[in-house]
Amino acid sequence: MTSGTGYEPAAHYDRVTEAWGLLLGDELHYGVFDHGDEALDVATAALTERMVQAARLPDGSADGRPLRVLDIGCGSGAPACAMSEAHGVEVVGITTSAVGVETALARAAARGLAGTVTFEQRDGTANGLPDASFDVAWALESAHLMRDRPALLAEAARVVRPGGRVVLCDLLRFRDIPFAEVRERRDDFATLRAAFGDAHFASLDYYATGLTDLGLEVEVADDLTQATLPTFDRWRANAETHHDAVVALIGEDGHRDFVRSCDILEAFWRDGTFGYGIVAARRPH
Amino acid sequence: MTTTPADVESTVKDFLTSIDKLPEGFTADTSLYADGAELDSLETAELSATLEDVLGSDPYSAGEMPETLAQIQAFYAAASA
Repeated sequence: MTSGTGYEPAAHYDRVTEAWGLLLGDELHYGVFDHGDEALDVATAALTERMVQAARLPDGSADGRPLRVLDIGCGSGAPACAMSEAHGVEVVGITTSAVGVETALARAAARGLAGTVTFEQRDGTANGLPDASFDVAWALESAHLMRDRPALLAEAARVVRPGGRVVLCDLLRFRDIPFAEVRERRDDFATLRAAFGDAHFASLDYYATGLTDLGLEVEVADDLTQATLPTFDRWRANAETHHDAVVALIGEDGHRDFVRSCDILEAFWRDGTFGYGIVAARRPH
Repeated sequence: MTTTPADVESTVKDFLTSIDKLPEGFTADTSLYADGAELDSLETAELSATLEDVLGSDPYSAGEMPETLAQIQAFYAAASA
């Protein structure tokens, strides 16, 4: 084993969480723009709502008890709190980031959710939670930070009850990138790594097939690449608006890497290399 | 100029050290990937560029994908033969 580079998700997240709140918005994820001119917070809420609908949270449970949701890679806890407030669900959020847990616990306490929304420092690829103990396993934009994706899917599938669902949205890779291209564009990829950590993208089919192979029935597999494209304009605008505060948190280099990353990712979105999607699958009874 | 195995070893070790991925007990037969230095594709590309910058050529750009220091040294030995 090696001692790491600081690009691992937990170390990276600990370093950038506060700055990302300014750059990416309070929910710390992409937005889905139905019209293109919405504010970022409207679009990020729309992505969360896509997940909520895919998870069938508004349907509740058959016996009237609160649904239990495992939020894998819970970030700052905003989506967990929002889904609990909106749908009366109990949420256990897990992240490998100590700062993420601390921030999320404070958020839940401030919103009076301490009893129903909890956060723990756990690894999504080996969560240690009991089998069939959740109605929904939810991974909002966290899968790309987990190197052992088969373990992530297996663990998510393991903890959902019969009739429960695994829902996941994330960045996607639409084509293999040959080694010669990685070498040629290594500065671009290194900039992305500096800004967003050690990320690895899979295809929509990878997730859908992986969940099918685990015995789940895929209900949703949607490409959201075009709908998420305006996110980069909003992030660049935030970087300009909050320049001084962001520089104070992550330095001039961090700010520059973030803005450059928006340009690089937008180009990859437009040329069909990367994109965004959502998958939901149900464990049969 | 002949590239010696020691030149290759110091270049690879310096690179792995610079990215904080030099495994304890690293030898010429330690994997550069899983269960070893755990390089990913970007780090491999960076190693490739470093070898070319320092030694004038590199096996990855020549179409080879060596998995150990010994295999990288073998590339330069063959080129010098």
